[in-house]
Amino acid sequence: MIAGLSSELKKKIAEVVARYPKKEAAILPVLHLIQRETGAIGADEERWVAGLLEIRPIKVREVVTFYTMYHQKPVGRFHIQVCSNLPCSLMGGEKVIDHLQRRLGIKIGETTPDQRFTLSEVECLGACEQAPCMMINFDYYGDLTPEKIDGLLKGLD
Amino acid sequence: MESAGMKIVIDDRPVEVEEGTTILQAAKQAGLHIPHLCFHPAFVPEGSCRICLVEIEGLPKLELACATAVRDGMKISTQSPRVREARRGVLEFLMADHPLDCPICDKAGECKLQDYYQEYGLFEGAFKEAKEKRDKIIKIAEKLILDRERCILCTRCVRFLSEITKTQELGVFRRGIHSEISTYEDAPVQNNYSGNLVDLCPVGAITDTEFRFKTRTWFLAQSESICPLCSRGCNIYVDYHPGFTRIPGTAKIYRIRARENLEVNGRWICDFGRYGFPSLEKDRGDKILWKKEGRDTIMSWEKILSLLAEKLRPRHRTKNTSNIAVVANTWMTNEELFLFKKIFKDDLGLKKIFFADPRPGSGDGFLLQAERTPNARAAKEMGLELNPVNLDDLSKNTDVLIIFGPFLADLHDPSSLKNDLDKIRTKVLVSSHRSGLESYVDFILPASGILEKTGSLTNRDGLVQKFSAVCPPCGDSRPEWSVLIELAKELRINAGYYSRLTQPEVILKEMGKEIAFFR
Repeated sequence: MIAGLSSELKKKIAEVVARYPKKEAAILPVLHLIQRETGAIGADEERWVAGLLEIRPIKVREVVTFYTMYHQKPVGRFHIQVCSNLPCSLMGGEKVIDHLQRRLGIKIGETTPDQRFTLSEVECLGACEQAPCMMINFDYYGDLTPEKIDGLLKGLD
Repeated sequence: MESAGMKIVIDDRPVEVEEGTTILQAAKQAGLHIPHLCFHPAFVPEGSCRICLVEIEGLPKLELACATAVRDGMKISTQSPRVREARRGVLEFLMADHPLDCPICDKAGECKLQDYYQEYGLFEGAFKEAKEKRDKIIKIAEKLILDRERCILCTRCVRFLSEITKTQELGVFRRGIHSEISTYEDAPVQNNYSGNLVDLCPVGAITDTEFRFKTRTWFLAQSESICPLCSRGCNIYVDYHPGFTRIPGTAKIYRIRARENLEVNGRWICDFGRYGFPSLEKDRGDKILWKKEGRDTIMSWEKILSLLAEKLRPRHRTKNTSNIAVVANTWMTNEELFLFKKIFKDDLGLKKIFFADPRPGSGDGFLLQAERTPNARAAKEMGLELNPVNLDDLSKNTDVLIIFGPFLADLHDPSSLKNDLDKIRTKVLVSSHRSGLESYVDFILPASGILEKTGSLTNRDGLVQKFSAVCPPCGDSRPEWSVLIELAKELRINAGYYSRLTQPEVILKEMGKEIAFFR
């Protein structure tokens, strides 16, 4: 997979790395750039990044698994991320997750067979005022109810 | 104390410490213990366990004792109701998903979480939810098992592998409640210091297969000792089970742990030393034997020593000792080597003095040395030359041979060893372990193992370290120093001198008088 990184991307990565006093510091933007092209950061990508930044692959894996924005496997066309922290849970976040699992027929961490939806549980999205909330790709949706979710899913394409 | 000293008060105790000292260290200097789990003096503070919270006068929030440097005039409380309440809260969260499997946990009895719960916890669990289920048997190294349910994510193991061994086999993956310690793919923890992770883990999350489910910690007597497996002289604890009185054979050494000595080994020991202890207990010789006309006869120390003395005495009297040869080794303590030198080199005037030691291995560039014997430096300082055994020189015109230690067997192939030893009429073996040499000799004297003796060793840097017996001698064995003194008495050489040397302590003092190095 990694052999296929475009020369354009590699050039961009080199530019980003050069911006930091320590190579290791470039890890977040480099991972974002790669994921944009490959869809996910697998073991091959981790090793490649580790080699580039002169750190061990385990350090890359720590970063990739810490942030929910990085994926170890490619996600579906619509990545639904539901907050599971305290304010959302108090306002019915668990019901939101239950409803989505039933509607999409998948569990947390799974992708629908048609590669349309991936469902994730995430830490605080920083939008507690609209709890319970979730993100679909890069857009926020708050004050969720089962009805509102159904409407949102219908409107997606 | 320098003028930069910071005057602070901890729990009404005035303390003066250097600038940059943390509250936790300052409290330690004042003799106060602030509970901590993730903090370890060898690493940069992490501040992840939160149990070291203390109250500082004038500050609205509780602060971390491990990561807060003192300021002049600080007034700190480590026992105020607020602090105790906070500790309780931290404990409650640490225990929220802790499996409480202390009855089958190897750490029980020496677990910090258990200790702190006894001291600050003792509450009913407030969580109604079921505990998280996690993997409990993950093999992360040849001898290490990780239990993720017990893990409190202090990351001491991760920091050890990243700061000390720099091998980074472990990391923290994912986050929040999903955080877990893990290896990368299936790459195990693979370095010569992996055993230290067991000592470091404040709970029972990392255990080793050598100790797992073998005994309970509270049966073990901790003794301080010195690792004999290389010339570094690492300080160790030997955990010895004195045995159940009604069940014979239950006395046993269960494990070796690192003991702090910043001059020698820091806070660590290598796996070669840690897991090498079974070899110290295996294949021990425990009986005094005389192969009289081909048959093993069990003897007493008195009889065998007087028998040996009879063979040596006439030669000494006639100053005809050229046909006596001795083989020593540098597993012998300072005191034993000294007596050896006194008797065989000075008194008997022997020329044929050889040394047989374990073959050198390879050093690892950190603690483990290539020289796999603990006391070679002492022999050199005493003026003994570490001549290796040359079988021709050893057997040529030799009538009496005394071998100390089992190592000769490993250095020569059995047929040539037997061939050359057969040329010698009287052969005596003083050895702690069976090695195959027994079949070539006439007299077998069992020596105590190094953990069964008291004495001192000189490490490669010339540091003389004393140690005491951890366990009683095996069978009829006696330490070489006592065998040597008794032999000297039987030989009736310098009787007044040797009868004064009753204990290793006394011998070491005498050595100091005669050899400047040991002063």
